[in-house]
Amino acid sequence: MSSLKIVGESPERIDGLEKITGAATYVDDIDFGARLLHAEIVETPYAHALIKSIDTSAAEKVPGVVRVITGKDFPYRFGLYMQDRFSFPTDRVRFVGEQVAAVVAHDAKTAKRAAKLVKVVYEELEPVLDLTKALRDDAVLVHPDLGNYTRCPWFFPQAGTNIAHWRKTRKGDIEKGFKEADVILEDIYTVPRYSHCAIEPHVIVGLYDLSGRLTLWSASQSPYTQRHVLAQALAPLGLSHKDIRVVTPYVGGGFGGKAGVSMEIIGAALAITVKGQPVKVRWSRAQEFYNTYQRQGVIARIKLGAKKDGTITAIEHTLHWDAGAYVEYGANVVNAVGLSATGPYRIPNVKIDSVCVYTNLPPSGPYRGFGYSEFHFGLESHMNRMAHKLGMDPVEFRRKNAIREGDTLAYGAKMNPSGLHEAIDRVAAEIGWGKKEVSKDPNKVIGKGFACFWKAPALPPNAASAAFMKFNEDGSLNISVSGMEIGQGFLTVMAQIAAEILTVPMERIRVELPDTDRNAYEWQTVGSHVTWGCGNAVKAAALELRGKMFEVVERALGIARDTLYLEDEKVKCRTRADFELPLQNFVINGIQTSHGNFIGGPILGSGVFMPEFTSALSDPETSQGGHPNVHYTVGAAAVTLEIDKKTGKMRVLKATLAVDAGKAINPGLVKGQIVGGIVQGLATVLYEDIRYDLKGKLVNANFTDYKIPTSMDVPDEIVPIIVEVAQPDGPFGARGTGEHTMIPAAAMVANAVEDAIGLRMKIMPITAEKVALELQGISYEDVKGSYMGLCFAGHPDAYKFHTKASTKK
Amino acid sequence: MAIAHEFDYVKPGTLREAVNTVARYGTRARVLAGGTDLITLIAENMVTPDAVVDIKGIAGLDKIEFKNGVLTIGALVTFSDLRDSPVIAKKFPVIHQMTGWVASVGIRNRATMVGNICSAVPCCDSGPILLVYDAAVLVVGPSGKRKVPLRDWFLGPRKTVLKRGEIATGVTLALPRKKHGACFVKLRRYEGEDLAQASVTVLAYADNTYRISFGSVAPRPIRGERIEALLAGRALSDDLIQEAVRLVPEEIAPITDIRATKEYRMHMVGVMLERGLRAAVERITGSGPAYGTSVI
Repeated sequence: MSSLKIVGESPERIDGLEKITGAATYVDDIDFGARLLHAEIVETPYAHALIKSIDTSAAEKVPGVVRVITGKDFPYRFGLYMQDRFSFPTDRVRFVGEQVAAVVAHDAKTAKRAAKLVKVVYEELEPVLDLTKALRDDAVLVHPDLGNYTRCPWFFPQAGTNIAHWRKTRKGDIEKGFKEADVILEDIYTVPRYSHCAIEPHVIVGLYDLSGRLTLWSASQSPYTQRHVLAQALAPLGLSHKDIRVVTPYVGGGFGGKAGVSMEIIGAALAITVKGQPVKVRWSRAQEFYNTYQRQGVIARIKLGAKKDGTITAIEHTLHWDAGAYVEYGANVVNAVGLSATGPYRIPNVKIDSVCVYTNLPPSGPYRGFGYSEFHFGLESHMNRMAHKLGMDPVEFRRKNAIREGDTLAYGAKMNPSGLHEAIDRVAAEIGWGKKEVSKDPNKVIGKGFACFWKAPALPPNAASAAFMKFNEDGSLNISVSGMEIGQGFLTVMAQIAAEILTVPMERIRVELPDTDRNAYEWQTVGSHVTWGCGNAVKAAALELRGKMFEVVERALGIARDTLYLEDEKVKCRTRADFELPLQNFVINGIQTSHGNFIGGPILGSGVFMPEFTSALSDPETSQGGHPNVHYTVGAAAVTLEIDKKTGKMRVLKATLAVDAGKAINPGLVKGQIVGGIVQGLATVLYEDIRYDLKGKLVNANFTDYKIPTSMDVPDEIVPIIVEVAQPDGPFGARGTGEHTMIPAAAMVANAVEDAIGLRMKIMPITAEKVALELQGISYEDVKGSYMGLCFAGHPDAYKFHTKASTKK
Repeated sequence: MAIAHEFDYVKPGTLREAVNTVARYGTRARVLAGGTDLITLIAENMVTPDAVVDIKGIAGLDKIEFKNGVLTIGALVTFSDLRDSPVIAKKFPVIHQMTGWVASVGIRNRATMVGNICSAVPCCDSGPILLVYDAAVLVVGPSGKRKVPLRDWFLGPRKTVLKRGEIATGVTLALPRKKHGACFVKLRRYEGEDLAQASVTVLAYADNTYRISFGSVAPRPIRGERIEALLAGRALSDDLIQEAVRLVPEEIAPITDIRATKEYRMHMVGVMLERGLRAAVERITGSGPAYGTSVI
């Protein structure tokens, strides 16, 4: 493509007006009429208990109650990568708030009253609320039947333990690597759990009609995957994929939380039990926190070796993940990190152990960054400290070790084209690296922090994207895909790709929201991959349309197709300057020949993309031999942070981030991702602070005490930088950038804190309170009270990275 | 969220009728004004009244009056009303400032200042600020009207001296006759809406006397009487401020909860007192940080 017209521009987003005027429809906006039924969930107050009995009789007698459903009615297990989660548990509950029954009634009030009358008798079990205990030889098991669960072939659960998966990556000779090192630095970093906090809570309406068709209107970023997971779970009832339809209108934010299937199983279950009537399950804000997915917590130990000249010789990275009660999706987060926890550096000797541990906290799963934010906090903190130990500038140390195209990755495949060095240099220049700034306020000091990042989409090797495309009578265009518009601008970008090839203006293109009955397949909108994957499918479909148009012109008018091109919605000819044929003249009705007949007909097409070069099959002991990741997106970021030494309060004076987008199809949207990612990332380090009590109950499942950023919390200045080193297999060279922009936030703040006041904070979040107390000589960990942010109540420095299975081998 | 609890909803047109209704239900009645606290409590079944008595139909309770140096704020006056009031902005700039930090605009459009002190949570913003003005609560009950000094009003978390059948109809306070400056210092976890982790309010007079109050660091909003006594009649100096800060542990009794540790609260109240004192004194002469600027 020599000169691009619309790709690389920033047209207005095509869903913008709809959203700001309130015209956009979300699941809860759809009117299902007076017959709509409402559900209330009966939840367990225990983190771990056996269900001895459930008595629903009193609830069933309440006027207005239609059905009360328990695990007896609906015992099916489900899961994306491992079927370990229950629609309704039958014998055992595994986290506080887990559903044990649901009341369906004619109105929400009645359902709520009746739910209180459901009597559940439990036998409390010792909850697994400490990673150390979870991994002990005599550990209480969260899933005694782990060995029997159906799972994907690249997960390695260890029956008889709480280890749901263990990704081991080995490259080179780790012992030799540390012997070659002049300096070795080892330390522990802790990252608690986080919640997505999308504005729109999960909601699903299910209708199992009298013909046996199940339709689900779902606030989801994964319509096809929902259909697939539900079809698997409902197979015992005789339902197959064709019988299930998932419709996804606009969603009010996803951030990973609306990927896969979590509470939607309840909507499907209830619909099936009240055949013929629609039923709605709408999560409260509290349920949104504890019964969907959370970002998992992790304790990580990093041992890094480097030579005096700054060359890294070896890394040993051990990560123990508090993955919660069900890991059907979350174990893949652990897997992704196990393959990539070197960070974007060329390191010859690598040993990574990423261990997924079942605990009795809420289920974990995908969250923007998919584990990378978590491990980057430790790794990028460690990189700074190693640089200081070596007497090197932290940016120079990173530049020296930064990965380049063709370098061998930890799992043996080669690194894709990468603009990491350019990103490092541009960020360093933008932040004024090396220039010390002084606050006018004598109470305040200013520090700067730097961090690099990388991330690959974590997709199964057969995660495919597809697109249907058709012209209308006036030459306007409909694109039917199943990627989800979750605020990132997906619809706009797909339209731009089609517009570029077909020369149809943006305002004459409609991109449809998913409906699995009609739209083309998309695995899921996750992993920052839809611009790349679905973009390739849309591009292929557009090229097919173009080819078909040229073919029709050739057949009808005898003009050789290879002389034809498109311009301004017209077919033109390179050899006949006088020839032009507007698309609208023939894309439905064909071209009339001199004989009076018509050639052609409706121009429609499809495109498919699958990353055929990937493979998840590798040696489980080393991860060598496969090609699990399609490519990495890289970048760098930095922050200028002002700290009040008395109050610990921190203010971000400036943040900048450079991401290698390959090709920014819409630079405005990429910049939007950068700003949004930084704001979200800064929140996780500065004030988002999840708290469990010591019995496993989430005590701040609300915005009163779980703080997400407001407009007042946006940094004074954010400078987005776009680097473009093309991804050869991406549409116009594009690769994803959505998640990446929040990944470096925590580490760059930690590094800026150290730069400003000399304190190294190793436990997230880094709140004003922690900084102020540390400056007073008080360790927050000693005074924090009876709370924990992940499944570990002790001091992380005392954590022993012992695992039962590790002693066997 | 659906409200499952059933209750009688009564909307009296007169104060007398309201008092009679509240008296009839006794402790089983709750008075509704803004409802930002009450409705969420009912929705979560934390409060289960037999009757909700909505006083929004009673004429005259929505007034902000300033007469002869006395300010009266009716029970239906919202934080947004206060924020938009020219009298408050001009004569009580520290109250104006406080209203900008209470919750968010949406909440402020409904929530009332009198409701805030009736809820009586230790972290309320209205309590400490009214305390430094020696405000009083106007109460009407079966046996007539009474006026309760705010320092006697709070009994503990969510407990006031309001008796069975009584309704708070307003708060009243006098504009200090002496030249003065004030500062409200609120510790928050971030820049968005938040409940106070701790708050310090300082009212400083040109004659070197001071009124000081604290929020979120005791079971109820409190005055710092020992510190006031220490400072009385003395011009502010670095040494004097440090003396005052040293008295903080004797004044407050913070606890560790989800919003902060007692250690942080104790430390921060000292810092906030120091900065609040300085700002309040500077403001007497019109210097110092403008009202509305956070000093922490």
